[in-house]
Amino acid sequence: MDRRVVITGIGMVTPLGAGKEAFAQALWQGETGIREITAFPTEGLASHLGAEVRAFEPRDFISVKNLRKMDRLSAMTTASVRMALDDAGLRIDPINRDRIGIVMGTAFGNTEHKVLTARVLFTEGPGMVSPIHVPNTVMNAPAGHASIEMGFRGVNTTVNHQAVSAETAIAYGAMEIRRGAADVIFAGGGDILSPFFYETLTRFRAVSPVNGGAEGARPFDRLRNGPVAGEGCGIVCLEAAELARERGAVPYAEVTGWGLASSPTPPTAWPIDPRGFSLALERALTMAGAVPAEIDLIQAAANGGRDLDAMEAAAYERLFGGRANPLITSLKGATGETFASGGIRAAALALSLREGIVPQVVGLNEPLVPLPFVIGASVNQPVRRGLLSGISYGGTYACLVFERRDP
Amino acid sequence: MVTGMGTVNALATDTGRFAEALRRGESGIGPISLFDTAEFRTHNGAQVKNFLPRAAIPAEFSLKRMSRSDLFALASTLQALKQARLDPIPEDLHKEMGVVIGGGAGGLLEAEAFFANYLRRGGRSARFSHLAPVCCASTANHLATKFDLWGPKTTLMTACSSGATAIGLGRDLIRTSAARAMIVGGTEPLCRLTFASFNALQAVDPGYCRPFSGNRAGLTLGEAAGILILESLTSALERGTPILGEILGYGVTCDSHHMTAPDIGASGAARAMRAALTDAGLAPEEIDYINAHGTATPLNDLMETRAIKEVFGPRAWKIPVSSTKSMHGHTLGASGALEAVVALLAITEGFIPPTIHHETPDPECDLDYVTTGARPDAPEIVLSNSFAFGGNNTTVIFGRYRGAGGRRG
Repeated sequence: MDRRVVITGIGMVTPLGAGKEAFAQALWQGETGIREITAFPTEGLASHLGAEVRAFEPRDFISVKNLRKMDRLSAMTTASVRMALDDAGLRIDPINRDRIGIVMGTAFGNTEHKVLTARVLFTEGPGMVSPIHVPNTVMNAPAGHASIEMGFRGVNTTVNHQAVSAETAIAYGAMEIRRGAADVIFAGGGDILSPFFYETLTRFRAVSPVNGGAEGARPFDRLRNGPVAGEGCGIVCLEAAELARERGAVPYAEVTGWGLASSPTPPTAWPIDPRGFSLALERALTMAGAVPAEIDLIQAAANGGRDLDAMEAAAYERLFGGRANPLITSLKGATGETFASGGIRAAALALSLREGIVPQVVGLNEPLVPLPFVIGASVNQPVRRGLLSGISYGGTYACLVFERRDP
Repeated sequence: MVTGMGTVNALATDTGRFAEALRRGESGIGPISLFDTAEFRTHNGAQVKNFLPRAAIPAEFSLKRMSRSDLFALASTLQALKQARLDPIPEDLHKEMGVVIGGGAGGLLEAEAFFANYLRRGGRSARFSHLAPVCCASTANHLATKFDLWGPKTTLMTACSSGATAIGLGRDLIRTSAARAMIVGGTEPLCRLTFASFNALQAVDPGYCRPFSGNRAGLTLGEAAGILILESLTSALERGTPILGEILGYGVTCDSHHMTAPDIGASGAARAMRAALTDAGLAPEEIDYINAHGTATPLNDLMETRAIKEVFGPRAWKIPVSSTKSMHGHTLGASGALEAVVALLAITEGFIPPTIHHETPDPECDLDYVTTGARPDAPEIVLSNSFAFGGNNTTVIFGRYRGAGGRRG
């Protein structure tokens, strides 16, 4: 079997709002979800900003019975899957649910319950560890909870590979549909902020202000000094194209290609050499049967990090330099670095393809190189082919090509 | 195609001695010395013994910032690459070789030491750099960097089915030409948090696990890495390396039932086995041996037995089914990969490994669990089950390579 795969629904819980209407509205108006962290104290730390999920009511999406057992990431995931399902107009029945699955990406999982369990273990002893929290300490808890709430019985997998977890999950989900192992896969990713995790990021000097200056996320900007940590979840509904057509669904886009690559990089460092990322880009374009000139928009990975943004920009200069001029945008000035961010970014790219609106890079004033970044305001421009770039510290890359299919 | 394999586990630190131990029905289960177990329900585990990283791993590889589980995986990978005649990896393969690892606790053992210190000192002087290998992705990153790999790289974390699913994904990446060769498998360290979690769930047998036995009372946690080298047929033939076996198919399903308890209706497990059979284009009659998930929890073994009966019908009673967890323990994220090594050894070495510690019959678990020692046999096709928290079920089917140029291992 070698089936085509389309995106028929999107759902998200983000610092810009939950649900595609709120998300798109805020995104296109250039709002930012980055503020002083309010969920926990940040005194004594080098950073204080974060992109927290604020407006989200899990009970609007999840049954009370199941919600009681869920951690925050599982609730965000389940709600995003519910929204993507409704957006796709899919109905679950006893027959199709065996062919519907989830491939979830998360970089850190539910850091809240993991740390809580460790704290209890080391301060109160093994006898006090709660069996209620244990299931939520595993990385696959969100996918498990979501499948229980939704009744999906098909493929269920969790990708746990740092900042490309979600992009890889989407590629994996598309592979599963393409080879016929599933008809529908809800794929994407999410991560949450929690006190110990946030402290760890600051101690690793992984977040702004890394080299002094004002704290803030400035993707591709000359004055960038590190990302701002964020949280959220984004899910796309991947579906076999022929099934979507049969039920009259109008896809946002077809997933025409993906490219995965690696390059030797120190485990916690961002890659400096663009060759690994360039390989992933070339592989995705080759699978999509597209040349660089046919790409209209890049949904970039840049988060305001010194090395990441410079490397990514260098790769684009090399691939597109002079011959092609795709618009380049990044969400991370608005949503922060949500680590398994590819689900939210895939949803944003799908929206750009459908609506012909490309959001601006919030926080970008002085581009580090002269590439066509979207600055100052969102632009209205038809987008036929979009590229989703996934790059992680540790040298891992996952890129995807989405192509609009007019009905 | 599988062209290499390697393992570090409680029974052995190489595949040759592992096969011998499986054949002899040895137990790797005993008192844990890795950390203090005084306050726990059980003091036993299947801990890796006699593993000296610096002796197992040549000096050219830095061991800096590697966790115990990273080291297990690196040592196993070196064995596998050597067997696959990829030591060194040819220049033209680097760009097309990748790695998929099924993770478990990752660097949690090391993170625990950090965290205990952090709690004591209020965080002021704790060295956060000790957390560097905490993520499961650390293993795949280290392998890709150390062996200069530029192909697809990722880490799956579906609890106890991670290792099995990683093998399936690796197979698909080769089949779709995203890579020519892949390092796949899983790795899992024993650690206090995992130990505390399974104790809290009361899922562990205070003594040792007794899969399918009437008096079974829970699992025994273990640690291990299992690594396979997967390669396209063309690549293996071109390089003239012996083919140990092939991945014939795999299936992944979800119970959609409960986070930690298996669905006793056995639908998810049965559907995983069927999906793998369909993927392999095989009829149930063609399976010669089932390496069971067989954790020895009362529910799992009953559920799995029911699932096997549902899929195989009257023939279920004629297929040898064994749980080698009775020997190497339940190695969680590594288990699917470790048991893949078992399945391939059964094929290449010609035997059915036993289920040890089967003490009393269970009227509902009445299949042929190979309880009286290993059996000489020549299984051609072996099915391996891995079921997990979250209701994740993965079945992988391994076969003897029978094509031209292949040979019996």
